[in-house]
Amino acid sequence: MAIDILVDSFPQLMKGLAVTIGLTLASVFIASILAILMAIGRCYSRQPIPFLILIYERVFRGIPLLVIFILIYFGLAQAGVIIDIFIAAVIGLALHSTAYQIQIFRCAISSIPEGQFTAARSLGMSNFQAMRHIILPQMLRLSIPGWSNEFTIVLKDTSITIAIGVVDLMRQSRYIIVREPSSALYILLFIAFLYFILVFSINRGLSYLEKKYKISGLEVNITR
Amino acid sequence: MKKEKKAISMVLIITLVSITVAFSGCTEEKPNKIVIGTEALFPPFEFVDENGTITGFDIEMTTKILTNLGYEVEIQDMAFQQLIGAVNSGIIDVIAAGMTIDEERLQQISFSIPYYSSDQSVLVRADSTKTITNYIDFANLKLGAQTGTTGAGWVEEHLLNMTWLQEQNINYSLNVTLGSYGSYTDALQDLTLPTGGRIDAVIVDKPVGNAFAEDGTSKVIYVIITNESFGLGVKKENTELLQKINQELEDFMETDEWNALVKKYFG
Amino acid sequence: MPMLEVKDIYKSYGTCEVLKGISFSMEQHETKVIIGTSGTGKSTLLKCINQLDPPDKGKVWLESEEITNPSTDINKIRQKIGFVFQDFNLFNHLTALKNVSIGLEKVKKIEKEKARERAMNELKRVGLEKQVNQYPAQLSGGQKQRVGIARALAMDPSIILFDEPTSALDPELIGDVLEVMKSLAGKVAMLVVTHEMGFARNVADEIIFMEGGVIVEKGSPKQMFQNPKVERTKQFLGKISTLYGTE
Repeated sequence: MAIDILVDSFPQLMKGLAVTIGLTLASVFIASILAILMAIGRCYSRQPIPFLILIYERVFRGIPLLVIFILIYFGLAQAGVIIDIFIAAVIGLALHSTAYQIQIFRCAISSIPEGQFTAARSLGMSNFQAMRHIILPQMLRLSIPGWSNEFTIVLKDTSITIAIGVVDLMRQSRYIIVREPSSALYILLFIAFLYFILVFSINRGLSYLEKKYKISGLEVNITR
Repeated sequence: MKKEKKAISMVLIITLVSITVAFSGCTEEKPNKIVIGTEALFPPFEFVDENGTITGFDIEMTTKILTNLGYEVEIQDMAFQQLIGAVNSGIIDVIAAGMTIDEERLQQISFSIPYYSSDQSVLVRADSTKTITNYIDFANLKLGAQTGTTGAGWVEEHLLNMTWLQEQNINYSLNVTLGSYGSYTDALQDLTLPTGGRIDAVIVDKPVGNAFAEDGTSKVIYVIITNESFGLGVKKENTELLQKINQELEDFMETDEWNALVKKYFG
Repeated sequence: MPMLEVKDIYKSYGTCEVLKGISFSMEQHETKVIIGTSGTGKSTLLKCINQLDPPDKGKVWLESEEITNPSTDINKIRQKIGFVFQDFNLFNHLTALKNVSIGLEKVKKIEKEKARERAMNELKRVGLEKQVNQYPAQLSGGQKQRVGIARALAMDPSIILFDEPTSALDPELIGDVLEVMKSLAGKVAMLVVTHEMGFARNVADEIIFMEGGVIVEKGSPKQMFQNPKVERTKQFLGKISTLYGTE
């Protein structure tokens, strides 16, 4: 019975789920840190830094994720550098997501009135202090909606890593289907359900975060 | 404030744990480590069993041979189309993936002596009434095969090739279409769709076709004699390894262990 | 040397020369009001003094330290110069209390509890005891500006610069802010750019009339309103007085 197959393969699927979650979390957080730094660089630094960051954005938004993975994993190997598939996957996902997240954070920064920075400096704060205490807290709050959207996008993108052999939820399901072709439909429906649960939880969790940190008068409309 | 700090530390801990768990499959430097590359979607040659282990005829045989040679074996799963690139760039050392020895591939890698000979089969839905007795019976069929395989190659060089058709005294196009799939699993799914397959037949190596047909959703109705041989693949420059493998393979094929293995997977 | 000395300030934006040689000085606890038509560089002058927008030429000394010298630590100097903005510029993500205490905590490195206490006192002083835990978005314009003044006061500056503090307020809210400013006169030096003639007349020690990037005339309120030396001053004050009425 197809349902039995589902039950038997449960441990395998859970292993795949753990990998999927691990990929998502690692990539999103690395990307966020990079993106915040680059967004600040793009808004506040002197040339040529903003220009270089612009190039980065254009490049990594323009190349399909699949191509990025293959370039990193196989391309680097051609050059003599062999890296673990999980690391390659995280690097690929992170580089790609960073390019999109820079946009989110930049948008947030630009919706902060310029006077905030000026007022901070007029109190005697250094540029760094003004960034840290006045700009960054506001920027993070304003970024929550766009950022949580990006989170779910990265989650869904992890399934592309099967191209370089990462054994995530998607690939585990294919192993099972090969062994038991008749179970295909059930397995696929089940993992679609799992992805849905993940996305739903992330959205719920982050909208709770948004409400908690919401400060009246501090809103912005972000279009992607 | 404390609650948020707790939540943030929780998330960070989960992230770190997931990373460590996933990284635990990380490769450490071992001097006699050797990596077998395969695509575990090709039963009974390579597939993943209920315990999540990559196994199969190719895997067991190759692991045995390499272990005999004193290596510590690691298995790396990836897309079939990437295997040749991977062995040439050093990501893997040996290809064991039911790979047929042919001219085109010989230009890119070296093969061991053949260890299995196979033909192609025509796999259809279990409820299909189609029969094939000669090539004309392929007319108007929608076929499917995995890109880059000899099965796909056979269809292209024969059923889709007017020159060859004329040699068979067939002076018209058979109106055959060939769908390319990333893997045979996808082709199989398209074949056995509950609402009526998108393709009529899958062209796949006979033992694999038989393995797929085991669960009763499909059946083999015709065998295309191609006399293909499978070989293990290595980088061209790796002549020393190839020599060792060939010697060991030759010896192994004389043993009882070999016979038992063949019986286990092919009955 | 006077507490604040401004000498020969020149400032241009592109080809437009906004300040063409401004010089004046201020002593401790003095209140000086700068008046003039819009766009004559009054706000620019204030920004030149605390180096938020450094001048092209000229020097500024605060308490004998030359702040226009690139080697001075401008962040330290800014702690002694308070700034009240036309658009309030309160920190949106902080409560009124935090707005006032943050400078004390992060810049002056005062211990959290002490900073909080001082902030409370300043907010009481400007009459906003009840609003300490509200966010700027929940405050009226007048309340926001008073928080802005409290924020500047908390740093215990030698002088506070006011850049048209009431221009963005509804008429009925202006009064409260002016009251607060009045209460500060004589306690801390204030340099105020404003159109509020009543305030200028009643609170200022000296009125400076600027136009075309230069100081046209300066003098005590009595002298400026009753006996201006320059024809243009008479014109300007006459018109403004009729417009705003005399207080």
